[in-house]
Amino acid sequence: MKIVAITSCPTGIAHTYMAAESLEIAAKEMGIDIKVETQGSVGAENELTEKDIKEANAVIIAADTKVSKERFMGKYIIEVGVQEAIKNPKELIERAKTAKVIDNDFVEEVNKIKEQRKAETKGPYKHLMTGVSFMIPFVVAGGIIIALSFAFGINAFKQEGTLPATLMQIGGSSAFALMIPILSGYIAYSIADRPGLVPGMIGGMLASSSGSGFIGGIIAGFTAGYFVNFLKKIIKLPKTFQGLMPVLILPLLSTLIIGLFMIYIIGKPVSAINNGMTVWLKNLSGTNSVLLGIILGLMMAFDMGGPVNKAAYTFGVATLSSGQPSMIMAAVMAAGMTPPLGLALATIIAKNKFTAQEIEAGKTAWALGISFITEGAIPFAAADPIRVIPSIMIGSAVTGALSMIFKSALTVPHGGIYVLAIPNAITNLSLYIIAIATGTIITALLISILKKECR
Amino acid sequence: MNISEIMSEKMIKLQLQSKDKISVIKELVELLYKNDKLYDKGKYIEAVLKREEEFSTGIGMGIAIPHGKSSAVKEPALAFGKSVEGIDYGALDGKPSNFFFIIAVPENSNDEHLRLLSQISRKLMHSEVREKLLKANKPSEVIDALK
Repeated sequence: MKIVAITSCPTGIAHTYMAAESLEIAAKEMGIDIKVETQGSVGAENELTEKDIKEANAVIIAADTKVSKERFMGKYIIEVGVQEAIKNPKELIERAKTAKVIDNDFVEEVNKIKEQRKAETKGPYKHLMTGVSFMIPFVVAGGIIIALSFAFGINAFKQEGTLPATLMQIGGSSAFALMIPILSGYIAYSIADRPGLVPGMIGGMLASSSGSGFIGGIIAGFTAGYFVNFLKKIIKLPKTFQGLMPVLILPLLSTLIIGLFMIYIIGKPVSAINNGMTVWLKNLSGTNSVLLGIILGLMMAFDMGGPVNKAAYTFGVATLSSGQPSMIMAAVMAAGMTPPLGLALATIIAKNKFTAQEIEAGKTAWALGISFITEGAIPFAAADPIRVIPSIMIGSAVTGALSMIFKSALTVPHGGIYVLAIPNAITNLSLYIIAIATGTIITALLISILKKECR
Repeated sequence: MNISEIMSEKMIKLQLQSKDKISVIKELVELLYKNDKLYDKGKYIEAVLKREEEFSTGIGMGIAIPHGKSSAVKEPALAFGKSVEGIDYGALDGKPSNFFFIIAVPENSNDEHLRLLSQISRKLMHSEVREKLLKANKPSEVIDALK
């Protein structure tokens, strides 16, 4: 049984110490271990250590001054005036003795978990998650609006001035166009605070327009964030000019450098990759169709809208030019549908491995998946690329291969489930659906196994 | 540091004349003033009374410790007075007070003096110390009791 106490009075000359002594005498008589910290005119004496407080059952604060209680979080505290400790020390100790003891272990456990969480959500992971959580609503809103446009027919949006075209304008060229800039902007914001937002968003925009997709966006976000922090550290201005830092110097310098970086350092190799892939695929067209299906599947899922995905998609679309149904196009579309579908399924079968926000996004991912909006998987992939990207690549590869094996062929370049409404748009429909379902299940299973439990 | 640095036999009065709170404070302040511990009597009394306003320093068990921290104090000092019949000092336990310790602390006193005073305050909480004070017939016995 141990009690800790603090005594303090306004002048700090006599009462503080009398109260302390009186508590100590009473505790001794009652056979109780007590430690009393005095906060008098000489400052704090006999200071309570963290260990003392941890061991104590209760805290007595006998003071007529303000005593900080921060140290005693989770402890039972008895607060009285300083005279009370002089007059009735035994009664106070009695109260402290019978005080409801708060389970130390439990409190400690909670603190430990809190600390762990803090440590785990620090650093790059936290920044990435900040970006992803800001991006998710854009993907959800934009994706569903695009799907609505497809509901009018997969090519309906091409008729200018119609509702489907308007929907596509809202969802596709607005909401989806903001997706990557928001992702990289808020990654940078998480790293460097407000000054990070400008170069982050502009870098993300450039990643989008230069075709490097969400991977380029993540690179832009991190580079912008850390670069702004670096600028903040090295630029030292006289006081009178410090006001210029946030409005002029930081945005200008960081945007300029990040912009050049995205175009020349990231953009150039990306278009080279894209071109290289396209050429490489063309050379592959004669080879084993199953192998081609696997490769296209892997590519479709790799960067979802990035240069690799675009090369595969463009390659697929090119095979339609002859006007004949294309097995390659069918494989490409099927492989592009499984990533969001697989993730949607994973959020159901492995709920404990996703955040509440991701579980909600999972519901939308169903709609995006069946509409062949591969981007529906981006929030999940961005949040945990190392586990999610390989999982969706394998699922898509299986789907691509099966689609080839089943000899399904497609006559249109887009549409997902809506192509079913078009007569003869797809051959071997039931087997095609099996191909998609198989890839979806494989992706979901892999993610459920690989992903760590969500904290 | 020794108790004699702040207390001397000359500042101990074993039979106080006063019968009420204000006059006992004045009587004790006179002891301090005569022994050259104060610049300004009136100003110091003001500080002591202001402290009393917060709540009575009659802490019970027959003890009262009026005290004041003021620029009117030359050096830290402690004067002692005893009243066998007791004086109504508005003590916490409602009983008359027999022992009066008046403490004078200058605005900028060093910690050593403050610690010494705090030790004396602590001693008063012990019944055997109070016993000795009650029995003391000579100023030297008072000082001994607090050592």
